[in-house]
Amino acid sequence: MEPRMYAYRCTACGKLFHPARAVCRRCGGREFEAVPLEGEGTLLTYTRVYALPEGYMKPWLGFGIVEFPNGLRVSGHMNTEDLTVGMKVRATVGVVKEGVGRDYYGFIFEKAG
Amino acid sequence: MIVDKLEQSLRPPELDMPPYPAKYITLASGEKMVVHQVGREDVPRLLEAVRPLVTVERDFYDIVAARLYAELLAYQRYRVKNEYVLAGTIDGVIVGIVNGRMVDADLGMSYHTVAIKRGLRIGAQLFAAKMEYHMDYLGQQEVLIVAESPIGYRRWMIEYELESRPDTWHELGGVPTHVLTKALWEKHKRMKCTGRRPVSPEMLEVARKLILPSEYPQIPGFKR
Amino acid sequence: MRKVGIAGVGHTKFGRAEIPLVDVLALAALEALDDAGVKTGKGNVDQVFVASMGAGILNRQSSVASALVDTLDLQPAMAETIENGPASGASAVKLGYMAIASGMCDVALVVGGELMRVVTGWEATDFVATMLHPDAEYAYGLTLPAFAGMFTRLYMDKYGVTEKDLAMVAVKNHEHAMHNPVAHIQLVPNFHAIIEDEDAHVINPYVAEPLRVYDVCPVSDGAAALVLCAMDLVDRFPKKPVRIAGIGQATDTHVVAEREIPTDLLAVRLAAERAYAMAGLKPEDIDVAELHDAFTILEIAISEEAGLFPRGEGHLAARRGDTRVGGKLPINTSGGLKAKGHPLGATGVSQIVEIVRQLRGEANGRQVEGAKHGLAVNFGGFGNNVVATILSKEG
Repeated sequence: MEPRMYAYRCTACGKLFHPARAVCRRCGGREFEAVPLEGEGTLLTYTRVYALPEGYMKPWLGFGIVEFPNGLRVSGHMNTEDLTVGMKVRATVGVVKEGVGRDYYGFIFEKAG
Repeated sequence: MIVDKLEQSLRPPELDMPPYPAKYITLASGEKMVVHQVGREDVPRLLEAVRPLVTVERDFYDIVAARLYAELLAYQRYRVKNEYVLAGTIDGVIVGIVNGRMVDADLGMSYHTVAIKRGLRIGAQLFAAKMEYHMDYLGQQEVLIVAESPIGYRRWMIEYELESRPDTWHELGGVPTHVLTKALWEKHKRMKCTGRRPVSPEMLEVARKLILPSEYPQIPGFKR
Repeated sequence: MRKVGIAGVGHTKFGRAEIPLVDVLALAALEALDDAGVKTGKGNVDQVFVASMGAGILNRQSSVASALVDTLDLQPAMAETIENGPASGASAVKLGYMAIASGMCDVALVVGGELMRVVTGWEATDFVATMLHPDAEYAYGLTLPAFAGMFTRLYMDKYGVTEKDLAMVAVKNHEHAMHNPVAHIQLVPNFHAIIEDEDAHVINPYVAEPLRVYDVCPVSDGAAALVLCAMDLVDRFPKKPVRIAGIGQATDTHVVAEREIPTDLLAVRLAAERAYAMAGLKPEDIDVAELHDAFTILEIAISEEAGLFPRGEGHLAARRGDTRVGGKLPINTSGGLKAKGHPLGATGVSQIVEIVRQLRGEANGRQVEGAKHGLAVNFGGFGNNVVATILSKEG
């Protein structure tokens, strides 16, 4: 099955969150339904990290914070080298960290268009 | 000096090796580190500088220092083909040593990198200097490299994205061999290698003093 | 509530410890007890609070407070270990304060310490990152330097902070550290070499763009300790205790991307406001401050959120030299996390040790003349759990 990323919608008031949480910030609701979180967004800020933590065999990785049109902001990997604040990016989902017996999936953003 | 016939037959045939032109690097402290190639006559000083580290277990200083010690001796007494040694000095004081050798015209063999003074990325600068020697001055195509410490692995294998070639043999033994290719060098040298030339005769004269370090951060309370 | 003071301070040399964690903690603790004239043995210390973020993970030792009480011969004192990320130290001080203010006890020993150099730098970076959100942040390989880099870019775009401003903060703190014998790094970087020279990109490379090596604190071992006492018992102690005038703490979203205004450090602002309110003081009253400069940008941003400078002008104050010893409002006279070092659990306690030394007039070459009120801001997570502490000189 194709891995997907999700937003979590409060069933009481409809507010969206990512990642999942126990209590809705807006109404105190405690039930959420998962809805796919995908498509294009805007890059708010980014960095290229050279001092990567244990477990990465690369000289550097790009990270960014992206805002989706629904207002949700998430962190992810940046899979493009020429980055500018405000550029349009497209969310893809891929392995962001290889784990022992389990890989971790997350947002990997690419230049839109 | 006349070298007798038996000794002559023990010495490896050497390829021509253009010298490494000295350079200086302004470190974060503002101090200037001179990197210059040392000769056989300098080896006794370097042995003195390396000897205290031979028993420092932490960060694999013992293995690296002991091997470098032996390699320095082998260089001094003509038991390795085409070995070279570069020394980093600040105000004439030895702060680091790197060495390696030419295997043939196209292939280099990196031996060791020892940083005596720490916290100024001296090891990284000296490693870059020896890669510069192999690639830009000896005109080689590839350098074989192994790492003995995790920090070495991080600094060389990962940061330079060295090509893994575990089936290729490196003289230091079992550690899987990695290769700096000409292409990788061209990709990374701008961010890794620095320095100014020429070094003024005055500065070079000071560097050639090869003063022994009075302290070793690896050995608290060191007294020579 | 009873008033609470600090009767004694202790601090190991930050850097690389060659001894086990509990021994490092004990060194700082004994120095603080001696400074306060408090003896070991039964009944002299009522409670012991030990701050450590990584004892369990890095040193594979839990319940270090129990171990410390034993080795110091303080049984049957009450004891607990406190973990609140890099703000563990100030949290422990807060709990010590509460224990005395409530009337539950008279004398409390607060010790913070960490042994981080038992692992490699990248393992330490990984360990510190475990305080981030496990799925939305940590799993991506995101780290504190990564968030600090992204924060710095926003701050630069919004307020015109430059890499040179950041380097200026670094050089200043390293200069301060040269007057602090317990500081880890005893070396002043050369401003030109680390930021202006054409080789600056090699000798001071980026760690997390736009932050460079000299914008980031080192990985250090070390411990700091305080003896807290009820101010009504001041006559028991050889040195006049410095009073804990105010403590404030606040939290913010765990997930950094969820912050409404990404350049705000809301928890810093709220923690500081609470501390000022409790102390009955205003930012203008502060004479000296220790701010959590794990990254140079944080010294600037925290100085603004804590009200010491107007929003967006912290870097201008740094440019003017206001924040160096001799300036209007010296910041990080100890060298800060940047140069003194940042043994996580020790840091919050260490900041308060420095403020005590300043208010006592014991800061030697880095002394801020006539300092009466000092502020310490200890920053946990990427700003999601922050403790601000204000100390005042009595009389």
